Amino acid sequence: MKAPPVSISCRDLSLRFPVYGVDAKSLKKKLAQVAVGGRLGSTLAGATEVTALSGVSFDLKAGDRLGLIGHNGSGKTTLLRALSGAYEPDEGQIEIEGRIAALLDLQLGIDPSATGIDNIRLRGRIAGLSSREIEERMDEIAEFSGLGAFLGLPVKTYSAGMQARLAFAAATSVEADVLLMDEWLAVGDADFQKLAHKRLLKLVERAGILVLASHDHHLLRLYCNKVMRLEGGVASPVTDIRKLDELLAA
Amino acid sequence: MDTATHMLRTGRRGTLFEYQMALRDLRNSFERIGLAWSLAWHDVVSRYRGSILGPLWITLSMALMVLGIGFLYAGLFQQPIDTFMPFVAMGIVFFGVIAGVITEGCQTFVNAAGMLSQTSLPMFTFVWRTVLRNLIYLGHHLIIVVGVLIWFGAWKTSNPLLALVGVVLMVGNLAWASMLLGIASARFRDVPQIVISVVQFAMFMTPVFWLPDARFSDNHLVLVANPFYHLLEAVRAPLLGEAVSGLTYTVLIAMLVLGWAATFSIFATTRRRIVHYL
Repeated sequence: MKAPPVSISCRDLSLRFPVYGVDAKSLKKKLAQVAVGGRLGSTLAGATEVTALSGVSFDLKAGDRLGLIGHNGSGKTTLLRALSGAYEPDEGQIEIEGRIAALLDLQLGIDPSATGIDNIRLRGRIAGLSSREIEERMDEIAEFSGLGAFLGLPVKTYSAGMQARLAFAAATSVEADVLLMDEWLAVGDADFQKLAHKRLLKLVERAGILVLASHDHHLLRLYCNKVMRLEGGVASPVTDIRKLDELLAA
Repeated sequence: MDTATHMLRTGRRGTLFEYQMALRDLRNSFERIGLAWSLAWHDVVSRYRGSILGPLWITLSMALMVLGIGFLYAGLFQQPIDTFMPFVAMGIVFFGVIAGVITEGCQTFVNAAGMLSQTSLPMFTFVWRTVLRNLIYLGHHLIIVVGVLIWFGAWKTSNPLLALVGVVLMVGNLAWASMLLGIASARFRDVPQIVISVVQFAMFMTPVFWLPDARFSDNHLVLVANPFYHLLEAVRAPLLGEAVSGLTYTVLIAMLVLGWAATFSIFATTRRRIVHYL
């Protein structure tokens, strides 16, 4: 199997969220504003914007395991979503070589009224697998989930732990060069957590690059070799994980 | 994996660039049309999970409506049932497609909020999902179309190939309307309400249940200026063995070109923002 170069290059990335208040979403208000013009019209020109990321630059190459730290609302998840391709930069650019897998929300595409098997299929399709690839992996996913005959039942009949197992098994069945994670996804009971850890580690090993946002410093030291701190949308330089304490003190 | 292995996302680089990106979204959606199909199929299956007849329930209720209205109005308007019933049946089934694609289009992006905010799936994929879902329903309703055409003998004069051309023109037009309303509804949450009212109004203003007769010349404003009439006529007339006027084709093709041009332009300029509307 040929190994294409894997890399992430992020240049002066800025991302702003326009905030559309509940009011602004009503057409009547907008029409009314247009009709009366003048004073109200001035607020019409630009919706309030929240700057989520500003001037973020970094480069990652194969073998890099980047930990993202920062307070709530510092832009970690926004950065991950931008890297996944969902959010378009307002300024700057992101260039990624390699297949991207974003494990941001395990519940993505899970339909509670569908059976476990159907959910695995749907999730696989969303992740970009072909029907054939999914069928090839089905046995392995089913076995890993440990749900056995329950896979034929609707997901809404599962316990929370079982749902988490299914979602985890389906979401981690992808092959990716760039793995994006919002918190380390270890779910289920103690036994399953061990298995989940192993599976994630294997996925991380296969992937060229990992970007992991987490508040757990112990975890970051364990899985990452680099770290970057976000503060109000501004990023620190990427530094070695051994300097994590200095970064936190700064 | 059929996902791209190279991704480049940048800030705005001028209008031309925005159009190129929008075009790439469209191309990616065609490359992964299987995904749109899977999602559409999943929608249909999950909506009727646990019911024995599944989507045939709508077919059944539609068939009941066709029969009821067919017999009642044929009597009221003193129309021969052999011609009136096929007319009403085609009208109800195909207006159902028109109404379905347009009203469900309002929810296209709103319902896909979760997926759009964390994956790089093409936006167009969700437009095709809405369109394909309604085509799957149409596939079920064809039972009514074929059944009525055969029972009342209208099949002898119908022209299925020309009707297929009509379906292509109809779906092509519905797709842009659906997408445009999807974007508008994501931004302004009262658009779906307006759309539902308009479509309902259009159903009564368009000859679905009533037959335009001699008192009502072919160039009456209610017909000529009604896009729904042209959409419906391009499919219904060939099935009933009637000629489609050149005006209908002119209007549909003009609508197709202008509609897509407008929708695509709006998509190109709002594409970055749609995910934030949700």
